[in-house]
This record gives sequence, structure tokens and C-alpha cells, in this order.
Amino acid sequence: MLFKIAWRNIWRNKIRSLTVVGSIVIGVWALTFMMAFYDGFVTMYIKSAVENDLSHIQIHNPDFMEDKKVEFVVENVEDINRKLSSDSTVSAFASRSLNNGMIANSKGSRGCQIRGVIPEQEAALTRLNDKIYDGVYFDKSKKKNPLIVGQKLADKMKLKLKSKVVLTFQNVDGDLVSAAFKVIGIYKSGNTIFEEMNIFVELSDISRLMGDKTMIHEVALMLDDVGLLDTVQSAMKAEFPDLLIENYKEISPDVNLYESQMGVITYVFVIIVMFALIFGIINAMLMAILERSRELGILMAVGLNKLKVFLMILIETVFIGLIAAPIGLMLGYFTVLYYGKVGIDMRESMEKIGLNEIIYTELDVGSYFIITVAVIITAIVASVYPALKAIKLKPVEAIYKI
Amino acid sequence: MARFQASKYILMKNVITVKGVTKIYNPDTIPVHALRGVDLQIGEGEFTALVGPSGSGKTTLLNIIGGLDDASDGSVIINEQDIAKLSDSQTIEFRKQNIGFVFQAYNLIPVLTAKENVEFVMLLQGASQSDRDARVKELMSAVGLSDHLDRRPSQLSGGQQQRVAVARALASKPMFVLADEPTANLDSKSTADLLDIMAKLNKEENITFLFSTHDQRVIDRARRVVNLDDGAVISDKTIE
Repeated sequence: MLFKIAWRNIWRNKIRSLTVVGSIVIGVWALTFMMAFYDGFVTMYIKSAVENDLSHIQIHNPDFMEDKKVEFVVENVEDINRKLSSDSTVSAFASRSLNNGMIANSKGSRGCQIRGVIPEQEAALTRLNDKIYDGVYFDKSKKKNPLIVGQKLADKMKLKLKSKVVLTFQNVDGDLVSAAFKVIGIYKSGNTIFEEMNIFVELSDISRLMGDKTMIHEVALMLDDVGLLDTVQSAMKAEFPDLLIENYKEISPDVNLYESQMGVITYVFVIIVMFALIFGIINAMLMAILERSRELGILMAVGLNKLKVFLMILIETVFIGLIAAPIGLMLGYFTVLYYGKVGIDMRESMEKIGLNEIIYTELDVGSYFIITVAVIITAIVASVYPALKAIKLKPVEAIYKI
Repeated sequence: MARFQASKYILMKNVITVKGVTKIYNPDTIPVHALRGVDLQIGEGEFTALVGPSGSGKTTLLNIIGGLDDASDGSVIINEQDIAKLSDSQTIEFRKQNIGFVFQAYNLIPVLTAKENVEFVMLLQGASQSDRDARVKELMSAVGLSDHLDRRPSQLSGGQQQRVAVARALASKPMFVLADEPTANLDSKSTADLLDIMAKLNKEENITFLFSTHDQRVIDRARRVVNLDDGAVISDKTIE
């Protein structure tokens, strides 16, 4: 009977109840969308960092990470290549040389990282070939000393296809070497900071210029299943104990921070929105109790004890939450679904922080569950104060209240 | 139900004993003496009217007898139980088991149907569905509303609502029914119908009624009239 009374009480003042339901719906919808947007942003950020730059695992000479000198190379590259080629969990890998140098043309010069790559390996690992939006990839060019630059750098140095630039870097003996390169392609990665800092040349060209010696400073690899990250990393460490083998979280603390804070941020969002909703619900329920104080007095007079009065108010509030939450979740779900497909284009505003990709909203089932539980808890918490007010009513005063 | 009937049997004659009850509102600021040492005994099966002008203390006395309000002094003993000595939760339980209420302004629960209003107290008592159905049928028939079971209060006239309120008051098989100005908002026809029902239940089922009123039509039907004025009993007449 308490459930019946509570349910029917909701519909006595439809406008007020629907206002409360509406505010919860909007709150839940906004919360769902915010969480999905944040998740999508973090996923995009990590994906961008992993696909363009970090890969899942990187292998270096331990000294190279301390001091980026060219002589700190990965010695046993053939063994590593053999191991990675035979490992079915590795989807792609690439060996690179990394030189900090200078790019110069008639418009000026800038510091950059010169990445000497094996074209087919780099294409398989980072899909650099797919990111060329102007010009061609190494495999389509027959020019001597071909160079691929990022869009951002090209814009800043006014580089075009066929532009000639001079790259200056250290050779194996520590001497500075300069050589002319020709721009054959301009890539767009979605990460403007990466685009501005990283240029690509063929490993064979830079090796020749450095003293006819192939110098590999980094081997990067991607896994089919990122869930196997720790397993593969441990196995590699066991096999190559003298090398520094790190995963992307260890290499880039900011990526690790974003990933680890996703859960915390979710709860922060939930607490903020639910806290705001609590006041709306309390207000509506207090109004309802004020209006019904005579009726509550009658119920208490005929034998409804305080616990049941308390429960009745609580049930009514939870009912409101249970009506609103599914609607809000459904709206949120479809919004997330829609923007998960078409994406949200914030490239212009996010370029300032180095990101130039569309955000696709996403939210896991667990988050929907958290929101549902949060709404129910909110309704329960919000009902406590009005329910306490209700049980403090004295029947005799409530019944004769005008 | 068995417990209730046993307690009723033990009481036999005196259902309510009021001893020197005083009620003072706002004792610390501007004291208002609502009752001044009222003594009263109500026997089983009585049909008693508490009469008096507005402000004479009728409603206050009914509220104290019903455990809805506390006396400033004196005691109310029901079934050998001084109700002032009960805790809040015990008082609620006591009311649920022993007292039926009919209030002036109908005071049915608007979101419940007539049937649900009547069976509500029985549900609180833990009565079974079959017991509830039988009792509701019996009472709604007694008040002449057998065909209005599924109507909400807003779909009933004032007189019909008050008849449902009487049925509700009797649903728990209380020791006695307290009715505060039960006919105050009713027209002549509804008043006559309601009084007929109450008198019939009193006579046939020996249910004790104590009601406050200043309605002469009600006073005329009472078998005992207790007159209150300025918080004190000024006369107590039994009508043969």
C-alpha cells in the first residue's frame, strides 16, 4: 500500500513532478554526455599519442634515454627483429634512428627530430603513408634524399612539395653534418606538436650521411591486444635484459595520467551533477509534504508509524528517480551513439593544445551503471531531509492545519 | 483480531476514563487553558455527544483521549492503560489497535479508493487479504456504499466521504470511535444518513461512539450528552 500511495502521490501534482523528473533527465543526460565526451577525448588523446609517436612498447639503449647521443644505439637489432617477427601478439614494429638536428631553408631554421625510418616498417606501424595529405610516401618517390614533413612545420617554414631544405645533425664521430633534402610529402597526424617537431627521412639516407653505418636508436612495436601489454613487455625484458623496454604509459606520464584519472574524473562529474540535483529534489519534496501535512497527520493518527512515513517519502522520491533515470540514460545513450559515429569536430579549438582530431564520444556499460546507482543514491539522500520533516509532524497539528 | 477482542472483553463497562485532565497551551508565554480538570467515564456501547460552544475544549479533549495530544495534567486510561505512559511508537500502535477516528473534514487519503481507504488500517494491522475483503464488503455495505468501492474521494459527495470515513474508523474493530464534528460539513440529508449508520452500528454491534458536536440534529440522537464550557464539564445527562 505504501508503494501504491507513493506512486499515486507523484501524479497528484503532475507539473511539479514532471519538473523534477525533467531536471533529473537533463542532469543524467548531461552527465552521460560529459562522461562520454571526456572518455572520447582521452581515448583520442591516447590513440593519437600511441599511433603517431609512442606505439605500445619502445626499446632503447638505456643510455640514450638519459642523453640523446647518437652513439647510444640498440645493438642487437637483428635479434629483436627476429623475436618480434615470430611473436603473433605483435601487429607491427619499426626500427628508427633518432637525431636531434636543425632544418633550414631560405625562410629560416628550426630545431627538429629527424626520424630515419624503414619506409615499409613505418607504414605498417604508424601508417605514415596514409597520413600524407600532399605529395607521396617514400615508396612512390625516386628523388634523392627525400623528406616528409608535418603540416604544422610546413606552414611555419612555408615548405611546399619539392622545397629544398638543409638538415644539420651530428654524425657518429660527433661532427656536424649538413645535407640537402627535398620535400616529397607533407603529413597530417592530428597532433600539431608532433607535426612541428618530427620530420621523416629514409634510414638508408641518414645512415649514409652519418658514416655508412646503420644506427638504430629505437624499436617501436604495436600489439594486437593492448591487454597483453604487460605480458609482452615482461617477456621482452626477460629476453633483452640490457635494453630499456618501456610501455607507452612509462614513456609518456601525461598519457598515463589521463588514463588513470578517467575513473576519478567520472566520479567528480557524478558528484557535481548529483549534488545539484539533490537541492531540486529536496525543494519539490518539501513542497509536497507541506501540501500534504494534513494527510500525513491522518495517516499517523490511524496508525502509520514514523518508519513507514519515512519509507513512504523515500519510496516516492526513489520512484521519481526511477522514472527519470531511464529516460535520461536513453537520451544520453542515443546522443553518445550519434556523436560516437559522426564525432565532434573541435579541431580548431584543440589545435592550441596540439590536438587536431575529431572526438568520438564513447561510454562503457559500467559508466551507465554508475550513473543509475548515482541517481538512486541521490534520490535516497534527497529524500532524507523531507522525510525527517514529515516524521516530525505532530498528527494533531497536521490534521487541524488550515 | 483475537487480541483486540480479548481486550474489549476485559474492559466490559468502562472503555474510557478521564481523570482531572488539564490542557494549557503556550504555558511559557500566554497560557491558554483549554481544559480545566475534566473527569469523564465512557462505558462500553455508549453513544455520547460532547457539546459546547466553539473553544469549549471538545476537540482538545477528543485529541487527548485519542492519544493525538498530551494532557498538561491528569490522565486518560483506556483498557487499564494510562496512554500518557506510552512512548510515541506505542501510542501509534495503541491507536491503530484500539481507536477509530472520524474527522470533521472527511480526511480520506485522496490517492486511495474508498475500498483502499477502508482497508488501510487493516493492512497496517497485518490482516490477510480475505479478512480485509470481507470486512470492507461488510462495512461498505453497512454505510450504504457497496457500489462505490473503487471511487476516489474526489468522486464522492461530502456525505459519502464521511460515510467512508466511518467505515474506515470501524475497519480495525476498535474499542471505540472518536468523531470530531462528523456532520459539520454535511447537508441535512447526509447528516441524517450518517447518524442513522452510526446509531445502527452502535446498537447492533455495540460500538462505542464519542463525538464532539454543536449540531442539534446530532445532539438529539445522542443517548448521553456531556456539556463542556470553558474547558470544564458543566453538565452530563443520560437520555433514556
